[in-house]
Amino acid sequence: MDYYFFIDLIQSLVDGLLFGTTYALIGIGFTLIFGVMRKLNLAYGAAALAGTYVGLAAAFVTPLPPILVFFVSALGSGIIGYIVYLGCFRYTPSSHPMAALLASVGMLLFIDELVIHLSHGMPYPYPSVLRNAEITLGEIWIRGDMLFVFGICVLAMVILYWLLYRTSLGLATRAVSQQPRAAQLCGIPTGQVNALTFVISGVLGGTAGAMTAAAVGVLSPIIAMSLTTKGLIVVVIGGLGSIPGAIIGGLMVGAAENVFQLLRGVTERDIYVMLLLFIFLTLRPGGLFGNTEGRD
Amino acid sequence: MEFYLGLLQILGVHTLLGLSAYVVLLTGQVSMAQAGFYAVGAYVAAMCTAMFGIHILPAVIIASVSTGILAMIVGFPALRVRGLMLVVATLAFGEMVRMFFFNFRWQIERDGKLIGPNGAEGFRAIRFFPENGWETGDVALFIWCIVVIVLGLLWWVDNTRAGAVLRAVGHDEVAAQSVGLNLTTIKVAAMALGGAIAGIGGGLYAHTVTHIEHGVFGILLATFAIAYPILGGLGSVFGTLLAVIFIQGFLVEGLRFIGDWRSLLFGALILLVMNLRPTGLLGERMSPLKTLFSRKSPVVTNAKETQ
Amino acid sequence: MMLKLEGMSKHFGGVKAVDDVSLTMNEGEIFGLIGPNGSGKSTTINLITGLYAPTSGTVSLEGRDLTALAQHERTALGVARTFQNIRLFGNLSVAENLWVAQNGHKQRRQHFISRWFKAGGLQDTNIDELLRFSRLHSKKDSLASALSFGEMRRLEMARALASNPKVLLLDEPAAGASIEDGQLLGERIRAVRDRGVSILLIEHMMELVMGITDRMAVLNFGRKIAEGTPSDIQSNPDVRAAYLGTKNKNKEPADA
Repeated sequence: MDYYFFIDLIQSLVDGLLFGTTYALIGIGFTLIFGVMRKLNLAYGAAALAGTYVGLAAAFVTPLPPILVFFVSALGSGIIGYIVYLGCFRYTPSSHPMAALLASVGMLLFIDELVIHLSHGMPYPYPSVLRNAEITLGEIWIRGDMLFVFGICVLAMVILYWLLYRTSLGLATRAVSQQPRAAQLCGIPTGQVNALTFVISGVLGGTAGAMTAAAVGVLSPIIAMSLTTKGLIVVVIGGLGSIPGAIIGGLMVGAAENVFQLLRGVTERDIYVMLLLFIFLTLRPGGLFGNTEGRD
Repeated sequence: MEFYLGLLQILGVHTLLGLSAYVVLLTGQVSMAQAGFYAVGAYVAAMCTAMFGIHILPAVIIASVSTGILAMIVGFPALRVRGLMLVVATLAFGEMVRMFFFNFRWQIERDGKLIGPNGAEGFRAIRFFPENGWETGDVALFIWCIVVIVLGLLWWVDNTRAGAVLRAVGHDEVAAQSVGLNLTTIKVAAMALGGAIAGIGGGLYAHTVTHIEHGVFGILLATFAIAYPILGGLGSVFGTLLAVIFIQGFLVEGLRFIGDWRSLLFGALILLVMNLRPTGLLGERMSPLKTLFSRKSPVVTNAKETQ
Repeated sequence: MMLKLEGMSKHFGGVKAVDDVSLTMNEGEIFGLIGPNGSGKSTTINLITGLYAPTSGTVSLEGRDLTALAQHERTALGVARTFQNIRLFGNLSVAENLWVAQNGHKQRRQHFISRWFKAGGLQDTNIDELLRFSRLHSKKDSLASALSFGEMRRLEMARALASNPKVLLLDEPAAGASIEDGQLLGERIRAVRDRGVSILLIEHMMELVMGITDRMAVLNFGRKIAEGTPSDIQSNPDVRAAYLGTKNKNKEPADA
């Protein structure tokens, strides 16, 4: 292994780990919803993307500083998360889990098409900060905007941690996710907790969407699919329902993706990521932090 | 007329796609890999006819057998996981297949022209039908003969003990094991059967469009595959048929005049049906059509309705 | 002997749900297994059927070691069960529930086609006989989910019998039933035994257990504390302590 290859490898790893935090956020979103509802929300990636577009639309109406655009994106995604909850989960019977799953697929297609129509399917430039800054560490350099993405994602995780473990809302959420029936008997309004979880994970998704767009510099509808698949992969690797699992899974996927890209090129990259996931699923079906008996 | 015959072809291949997911769904597994099997079937059958000059019928059979075997191989590890994890595992497999064909190049010279899968370019000039003088109507008839055979076969299986066993596994895996059913065998068999049907569908599809490329076989197609049986209801094969006719015939083609907005309608429609009729259009069990041919008394249908 | 457990243990993390339990059931016997809640009775059934893998120990049927076999293989050799919280195939008709369960040693010898794809399999004489035996014949075409509670219990037992078992494990079959129903149930269990099926009965309803079992064993905290005929058990001081001792302990602080 020659020296420059080694440097390239380290560089890929670093970039991958920084960008992996967006995957981690998406993974956390999936995991939160799964945690409280025991259901998979396939419309999640699309909702996150639509929220990101809301931020962009706000910037079209009145000029906004990038930070505010990100903020509006996250907020918009939270609201769309609530709509997804109403449309797919609130009124579908829990005795038919497939109904909710397919409804979320319907929502995914609906939101995706709506975004494509309203944006005419064109990619739009998306603001970012610290684009030209960079930090050099020996032969490794770190892009300033990536570092910003990393910072915001970590901040979002810290806020989430505070919400879940330091507030009564968090206590209620954790209670519902462990024993929904018992939580209800204790007087916790499970419906409201469910709805709030969708809003919170929506905000996380919107942040992830905004940061993805900021890192790439453009926003295009294609991002929805990659957010969805990457988020699912992260959740499976980390273990459904585990937040630390989602964080580590996100970093792993980000790093693995970049390394495979270096080794095998961008077109083959995803094959290996999927292969990694498949191997994970068969060898450790519960994920890193889940229990080993593949849960339902 | 030509338009309607073309539509019939589309309905035919999509019915096969939906049926392939139907079989797997009966055992309670949501497989997003059907589009992947469909893609493998399309490429294999197309390679047989376009590159090696084999007749369409053996080509489709070869495609079906190879996808069936592939589904069996994938099924063993994938079915170790259940429910949502299986959705993700099969989704990953489907994407893996798609990315494989995105990178797959194998062209041979035939009649002075290079022919075969060419990576992102796709696989062009799958001209078995035009080369052999098949009209659109002939093709549609050929496809529907196969569809009717598959539909009939599945309907028959559904009414034997095998069908009841598939449904039993789908309802309660623990109870199914306790009465002596081998879950792995049954699930892998369902997966293999589903894969084989998807292979037939893909093989026929490749020849109706003459040009296939990886992009077609994405998550959207996989979603369509599971949406047909769930939307139609898992009561019988006719639910899937009805859903295909409704979505492809009415929504996609029938509403062409409202332009691109109809794809919005598709998502909205799924949402609506799942909220109003969570068991699908024809319900979970005992479709009206089935009651007509059924040995069971109509009382059963009523019992289900009151639930 | 019919069914034999030797040194059976199952630990969940640090909890010893079943700890070094050995049991021997004779052919044609109705064997009771009792114990307070959480004493490991259901876990024992799950170990016999293979739903759980034991931490240590073996289980054998007619001298044949079952420990390494999967659930469906054990059923094929003649182990069948019911569940504490009834688990029927609610999406199938009553007759189909029995049809699906025909996986026992007798049916295994059938040809592949006739086992899986024979038309008119529902008119099978075995199914018919079982339906009459369980007084479910008039309901044979109803969906299992549309039955009454008592009918569901009867169907579940019939379904277990459809696999032609040598041993039937009943997990609290009287749960939710009245005393009168319990007496009827006792007669039914005897009738099943008279068909040549040995029975392992887990039950809380003492009248039922004491009335119909030939022998019984008592579990407490995962350990077997007594074994013998119902009258032996009734006079056993350890059993009294297990059932009543906890009561005394609760009283102590009040007295003090």
